[in-house]
Amino acid sequence: MPLEDYAAEMDRCSSCSYCKWIPFDQVKSWRFAKNCPSIAYHNFNSYSARGRYLVARSLLNRQSEYSDTVRRIVYTCLTCGSCDVSCKVCRYNLEPLQMVRELKFTSVEAGQCLDAHQTIIESLRKESNTMGAGRRERGAWAEDLPVKRLPTEKAEVLFHAGCRICYDKELHKNARAAVKILLRAGVDLGILGENEMCCGGRIYSMGYRDDFTHFARANLAIWAKAGVKTVVTSCSDCYHAFKRLYPELGSKIEVLHAVEYMDRLVKEGQLTFRSEIPLTVTYHDPCHLGRQGEPYVPWDGVEKKIKNQIVVYEPDRPRYNGARGVYDPPRDILKSIPGLKLVEMERIREYSWCCGAGGGVREAYPEFSNWTAGERITEAKATGAQALVTACPWCERNFLDAIGAPENGMKVLDIIELVQQALSVEAADGTS
Amino acid sequence: MDDKKVRLIELIGDGGIVAGQEFDDSSSVDHNRIKPVTPCFTVKPKNVEAVQKIVIWANETRTPLVPISSGGPHFRSDTDPTAAEAVIVDLSGMRQILKIDRRNRLALIEPGVTYAELQPALQDQGLRIAAPLLPRKNKSVITSLLEREPVMSPKVQWNLLEPLRSLEIVWGNGDKFYTGSGTFRGEKDEDWQAGLVPVLGPGPGQLDFYKLISAAQGSMGIVTWASVKCEVYPQARKLYFIPAEKLEDLIDFTYKLLKFRFGDELFIVNNTSMANILASRGAEIQALKNVLPAWTVIVGISGGHILAEEKLAAQEADIHEIAQQHGLPMLPALQGIHGDEMLDIILRPSPEPYWKLRYKGGSQEIFFLTTLDKTPGFVTTMFSVARQKQVPVQDIGVYLQPVHQGVGCHCEFILPFDRAIPAEVQNSLELFREASHTLFRQGAYFSRPYGIWADMIYHADARTRVVTQKIKDIFDPRHVMNPGKLCF
Amino acid sequence: MALPENVFKALEDIVGAAHISNDPAVLDSYRYSLAHTAIHLGPFYNTYTPRGAAVLLPGSTEEVQAIIKLCNQYKIKFKASSTFWSGQAYPSEEDTIQLDMRRMDRILEIDEKNMYAVVEPGVIAATLQAEAMKVGLNTHVAGSGCSCSVLASATSYFGSGPGNLYGGWFYDNLLSMEWVMPTGEILQTGSLGSGCGWFCGEGPGPSMRGAARGFLGAKGSMGVFTKCAVKLFAWPGPKTLPVEGTIPAYKVALPDNFKAYTVAFPSWKAWADAVYWIWDSGVGYLAHRQFNMFGRDLKYAMVKILADPSKTLGDLEELLEDPEVQAVTEQSKRDFQIVLVGMTQRDMAWQEKALDEILSRTGGWKVEAMLAPEIHDWALLYLIRLGHKNLNLVFGGSYDGCFGLVGAPDFGASFAEEAGQFKKEWEQRGAVVEAGGDCMMGPIGGQGGGGTCLWENFTCFDPHDRFSTDGTLEFFDAATGYGIQRGWGVGMEKWNSVARGPDGRTTPKAVRDKMHLAAPQPNIFRYQYQVRKAFNPNNLGDEYFETLEDEDGET
Repeated sequence: MPLEDYAAEMDRCSSCSYCKWIPFDQVKSWRFAKNCPSIAYHNFNSYSARGRYLVARSLLNRQSEYSDTVRRIVYTCLTCGSCDVSCKVCRYNLEPLQMVRELKFTSVEAGQCLDAHQTIIESLRKESNTMGAGRRERGAWAEDLPVKRLPTEKAEVLFHAGCRICYDKELHKNARAAVKILLRAGVDLGILGENEMCCGGRIYSMGYRDDFTHFARANLAIWAKAGVKTVVTSCSDCYHAFKRLYPELGSKIEVLHAVEYMDRLVKEGQLTFRSEIPLTVTYHDPCHLGRQGEPYVPWDGVEKKIKNQIVVYEPDRPRYNGARGVYDPPRDILKSIPGLKLVEMERIREYSWCCGAGGGVREAYPEFSNWTAGERITEAKATGAQALVTACPWCERNFLDAIGAPENGMKVLDIIELVQQALSVEAADGTS
Repeated sequence: MDDKKVRLIELIGDGGIVAGQEFDDSSSVDHNRIKPVTPCFTVKPKNVEAVQKIVIWANETRTPLVPISSGGPHFRSDTDPTAAEAVIVDLSGMRQILKIDRRNRLALIEPGVTYAELQPALQDQGLRIAAPLLPRKNKSVITSLLEREPVMSPKVQWNLLEPLRSLEIVWGNGDKFYTGSGTFRGEKDEDWQAGLVPVLGPGPGQLDFYKLISAAQGSMGIVTWASVKCEVYPQARKLYFIPAEKLEDLIDFTYKLLKFRFGDELFIVNNTSMANILASRGAEIQALKNVLPAWTVIVGISGGHILAEEKLAAQEADIHEIAQQHGLPMLPALQGIHGDEMLDIILRPSPEPYWKLRYKGGSQEIFFLTTLDKTPGFVTTMFSVARQKQVPVQDIGVYLQPVHQGVGCHCEFILPFDRAIPAEVQNSLELFREASHTLFRQGAYFSRPYGIWADMIYHADARTRVVTQKIKDIFDPRHVMNPGKLCF
Repeated sequence: MALPENVFKALEDIVGAAHISNDPAVLDSYRYSLAHTAIHLGPFYNTYTPRGAAVLLPGSTEEVQAIIKLCNQYKIKFKASSTFWSGQAYPSEEDTIQLDMRRMDRILEIDEKNMYAVVEPGVIAATLQAEAMKVGLNTHVAGSGCSCSVLASATSYFGSGPGNLYGGWFYDNLLSMEWVMPTGEILQTGSLGSGCGWFCGEGPGPSMRGAARGFLGAKGSMGVFTKCAVKLFAWPGPKTLPVEGTIPAYKVALPDNFKAYTVAFPSWKAWADAVYWIWDSGVGYLAHRQFNMFGRDLKYAMVKILADPSKTLGDLEELLEDPEVQAVTEQSKRDFQIVLVGMTQRDMAWQEKALDEILSRTGGWKVEAMLAPEIHDWALLYLIRLGHKNLNLVFGGSYDGCFGLVGAPDFGASFAEEAGQFKKEWEQRGAVVEAGGDCMMGPIGGQGGGGTCLWENFTCFDPHDRFSTDGTLEFFDAATGYGIQRGWGVGMEKWNSVARGPDGRTTPKAVRDKMHLAAPQPNIFRYQYQVRKAFNPNNLGDEYFETLEDEDGET
């Protein structure tokens, strides 16, 4: 939907500022009440969803032009979706997340791009990854793993590692652990290795719609060729792309996050936790697994009015408000690990605070990205937990970078690591 | 002045003009450093039109006016003229209770109406008014409320001016003005029935006019009418005494009652004040205070008028539990005085002699606002200064009245003295002045700045002084209203 | 006209480069549509408040003072706001500097014993309530919801809400303030000015707080308030609300000393009688005619939607056909919500009995459907936290209130049905949501534990739709005329039309003067003019602080 089509929303936005706070019913303290990192950091109204509605309108009406400031306003949006959740506590006819995405698409299409993003795009177009690295190194994380290589071999379940894991050696462990666990559970699993391509999710959230579409179609094609019916990933960004964005292009592939798959296996009794982990942890809901991890519901409808001026849709428009995100599977897993104690932060589930990595922000605005992660770490520490656990390598990396030296008193872990440990599965370095 | 007086008579007739007023300052020491100036005469208007004419005349002739509504004795020198050729405007003759509206719990009264007159009239209609502790019989209700005298029931004081609501004011510039929703005076029955009633205090508009005349000591204008909020007259009520030897032991208990809004009348007195209240003569007071507990919380419990007994019983039980939690007894009687008797005493104006004068015939008050938790510290300070002045601390009455639903506390020291003993008078004066300064330095908030307190506070809060003077210039541009008071 | 460079630079020096902007797009994000929420004028389609000269984010009182002094030096108008919700937060004149008070957002103190909090302008009621609850206290929340600034409601506007009855409205709860006056001096009101702390807003002597706010505040036109203290009250509940449920149908199950009722009555007289009884008896913690804002005909259906995470507005029509919904709708015509909170079990038991007794005496009833657990717990949370107030705009995106008259219960009872009928007829014309005419919402209790109610008749429209916006304007003009003709006075649909006109700029003086001269007491505005002259001699605010300057009038 082009930006012009959001003109009605620009007028109908309440200007209530709910988009700047977690749902008020959930506020437990002054310290952890905010939801939107970009306005929390920058403070000008323009950096909120309500502000971006007004900036968008100003640009559309040619009342203002792109400037460094405007580009910053546009591109510091993490597209974390927290504004969308909060707005929809009360509003049924606004889509702030979609609007900010469209604002980014429009900006990119207008040539108002950031150098930092252009670098990523160029790398992507050449090497099929967003990490500025060579295509050939993509499969290095799985070097010695006894797992099928697609599309040469066939498998119904594809494990997609994602750019961040593939090219971040410290995070290889997550993918390796996931593959080992799934293989051990007897899953007919394959990987694409160096044939794997970027999911396109990150660049979509940066505003590069066409590039995303290109990669999405390429992925769908190669999966079809490999006979894939299910895609599993331990990257939440990829998860969201496959689950929510690919179906708009016709994908019918089942998409699971590794944590969902493992939760299923645990509940079916196919995985049993044997080892105790005496640790107090808190869990960070990744945006793309949590509030943006809701199932896709196709819709093709129109706006209509009832009772003179109540705006509704024909047929009823699906409502993505974070209600059906993936929150419980990771928690169920953590709660069933012997010895592990889960304590919750104040901002969780659909109103979780973003890690700061998304939307191209980590690449273009490292200081802001780091600050955002730091806020989350402060919140995690406030629970008294010894470790901050997450289910996304982007979150993990951003937290690791922000937390600094290990003596800062908190570990950062991926949930798969804990699962592996609890299953007594051999770790990536050969230890149990 | 004679020409001016003639002119005034032309305007309002001579019926209301009396000769120069004698000042009876037998009850208090000089609150001010400046001795009162004998006024030229007193004028007693009968209605607001006359008041307005008087004020306009005063502006034309530059005559200082000192409004008074209550009868004497006066204690705080706010009604002592300090400018030459002043005229007393005695409003005590405007004493109608214009209306009592049970449904909206409002009474409409003129400035001369006293508590002694109002309380029985309200009771006939099933109402009562939150009242100060034992006001003088001739104390004007409007004056008491304008002066922000504390009321005994903090729980019904949603703001500090309660129960004062709408006013009719003649400002110092002669303008007749209605504050709040005073334009709905309800003079027509159909207005009352339609709910067009003067129930609001604030405004109208974006200034809070009644706040600008509160505690102004008559220096902004003259109030000629007020609506006041009333409470329901309870069908059942009781009073309990919660004694302790140390004031500190009563603080948290009192806070708990304030927090839960349990109890109606709620205040703390020391043995001396209690004795002053209960006894009528010096010797009796002396004897009684020696047997009374050092400190007592007085808690009146009202059952209202719906399921009154049940409400009473519930609160009694809850307060008893709270007292127990704090290790305090909750007594229905104290030294032979039953709660009902105490209730009867405190719910009426003070019989003669006025309770603060009973011990020695004269007394000086020091009062200010603070928070309840700080009161023990102020008591210690007061007693310390008294000892330095060789004033027996056991003579000093203490009255602590939580206000504004507990966010503040009126702290009052009653310093008795025998007027017949000049040295005692002098000592009392010195004690008063020194204690006032010491308490002020300790953080006592003299929100009602009479006499020397005005010097203290406006010196410390210069910005408020400047702003107050600018407001005065708007509402009393010729400064005819009680000049020399506050910071004027 | 852009700010002169030297002025911009001077302002930048005060707040820092990161906290000032004159980028046009940023400035446009600080403009408000006059087809919008609770502006109390118009609405006017495709009309906006003027673009500011710059927007600043001050971080301290000292910065605010420096900014204001600079503005006086260069005669630049300024206007501060905390949350920028409602037209009165925005300039009425070109070249006005906008101060966004968001950065000054500390809760400086919560005094548990004496039950007050000290806050900066950026503190919203939600966060203050959350912190207060940790120590067994609660704060009043203005009717516009917990997203609003406590300080702004208390010092600068109205501050009425469901908590008026027990906790007091913000007018009653306002204690000392720190006010950077329009010329840059700092006034600390009440006990604060004497260095005695924040606990008392009055005095010394005549309360100069009266120059800062009356029934309403100055709406940002007279300097900037940088701190204030507000009275709190008891919260005998858990330190944190144990919220459950699926978004948006959050709910809370609280102990037995918390109960939310919807009570309804056979007549407006009975409704008024009950209100008086409730005030007389002292029961109740929160009381508001809240859900009626959706409209008499729609409210229960809307409650069913809001309390069910699977439902949307698209389910409304089907729900309206449901016989059960119809029955409850009929039953709840003349209703309001009341939350009972017992400080102790005995207290609660008595309150419950007293409420039953009041209902018995007035022929009223509890609406049973609202006691279904999932709805009760939703309603309880809604009323306590008041965190769903952009439901005011749920239908089409915009609303304003008409009639909105403050008065004793008998006053409302005398006109409510008629006002509702008047609106119902206008609803037929299509410009506003057809909701049953009576969409009146408002607090049960105005001040001092009772006193007044307010009947704000919600008028919901679509700000994107010219027909809707223009039609709403036409309706509001008619409502004003009707109210005057019937002797009710001018309603809240015009509260701010004296300040701003159809072009989004200050109403011309001749028009303002005419309105003021028609008021029952024009001197109110003449005095306000005098106050403005005294404290804002360079007139750096706007006419949201209403003034009447005429040579004929004498004050």
